[in-house]
Amino acid sequence: MSAMLTVRGLHKRFGEHEVVKGVDLDVRQGEVVVIIGPSGSGKSTFIRCLNSLEEPSAGSVVVDGGESVRANDRRAMARLREDIGMVFQDYTLFPHMTVMANMILAPVRVKGVSKADAQANALALLERVGLKHKADGYPGELSGGQQQRVAIVRALAMKPRLLLFDEPTSALDPETVGEVLSVMKGLAAEGMTMIVVTHEMGFAREVADRVVFFDGGKIVEMGPPAQIFSAPEHPRTRQFLQSVLH
Amino acid sequence: MDFDFNYLLAQWPALLDGMLMTLRVSLLAIAFSLLIGVLGGAVRALRMPVLSQIVAMYVELIRNTPILVQLFFIFYGLPAIGLELSLFWSGVVCLSVWAGAYQVENMRGGLATVEHKMREASMALSLKPHQYFYLVALPIAFRTSLPAVLNTAISLLKNSSYLQAIGLAELTFVAVDRIATDFRAIEMFSAICVMYLALVAILSLLTGRLSAHLQRPFRH
Repeated sequence: MSAMLTVRGLHKRFGEHEVVKGVDLDVRQGEVVVIIGPSGSGKSTFIRCLNSLEEPSAGSVVVDGGESVRANDRRAMARLREDIGMVFQDYTLFPHMTVMANMILAPVRVKGVSKADAQANALALLERVGLKHKADGYPGELSGGQQQRVAIVRALAMKPRLLLFDEPTSALDPETVGEVLSVMKGLAAEGMTMIVVTHEMGFAREVADRVVFFDGGKIVEMGPPAQIFSAPEHPRTRQFLQSVLH
Repeated sequence: MDFDFNYLLAQWPALLDGMLMTLRVSLLAIAFSLLIGVLGGAVRALRMPVLSQIVAMYVELIRNTPILVQLFFIFYGLPAIGLELSLFWSGVVCLSVWAGAYQVENMRGGLATVEHKMREASMALSLKPHQYFYLVALPIAFRTSLPAVLNTAISLLKNSSYLQAIGLAELTFVAVDRIATDFRAIEMFSAICVMYLALVAILSLLTGRLSAHLQRPFRH
């Protein structure tokens, strides 16, 4: 299968402090890559760089066979953004807009989709995650899990080719984590290309095509979940998995 | 004690004219001061270089000088450098510039409360920075700053009575003008106090309605 994303030599420095120290990553179309690693390992910063929420210091990025973009070229990176959706830890729905208004804002304002088409598409997406009846509600009226499901379909409404998740279940109540993970599993099954930063090892084991272990701003080890979880090669990976899997 | 209601009834048309003038000047100035507030607040909140310092100086200048001096500056001072405004527009400009300085601070305060993650979410959806500003940040900020914005609007309405000093025929001017000939001070000042109170009450009521409507998404 073709490469959906190619990252080469990505670096991110905050002043003197280097957080991402040269990451190479290829993600195939339809692949689900789960990034795990200790706090402060640079995994969140790495995916935030892909969406230019952080400006990378060096490296290059190619999305879906397009031109290779120098990672520190801010404008060019911002153009890539239209093909990349992102779901954040704390939902970040716009509180003053209804669920429907949240859903159609970017398709109408950025992509120039007609309001009627955007609404029809939004309703179909909301139905998929069981929230069609909340279309006229406000984010504040929804539970955390419901808000996060809306945030996922809001990102999907832009028809991204790649979807990034930055710890999408970390802010949720334990009992609502499952409903968000099941939406993500559904997307994976439909062939959406996804990069997921998470501490949900069960999700990584079950859904990931490839698990990437990040530490100290670098990829220490990656491979199929069976290999990473059962027979990690690197002592640092073993140590981390022991501490999170008890 | 003689309080002559019949006198007031006879003067009612003049008082009404004065009140309408007060309303016209004030409503225009409220609109312009809000515009100044939104633009200036944005410049300050986004820390635009140079512009931000200019706006800060404007705010300090206006807040630390008497409004009457500002009024005289506009009405008597500006014509000396070739900028001559009519009585009416001198009043509108004075009140707009005065209240605008306060609205800048009100809007800046509101914008400062909008969480950074809203900006990131907008960027992730490929909204342009100006779209983020007027579609997301401004509506959220406006809800926070509405009580302060209303206070400034009420102060503006009350301060419109300063315009009698340049001879604009607003409510206070009408009262003072009549008192000079009829000496019915207690009647006239009582009447215009009640009229100012009524205007402020209407303004508060309308803003209260607006606020209740705008707060609906947040009341959970």
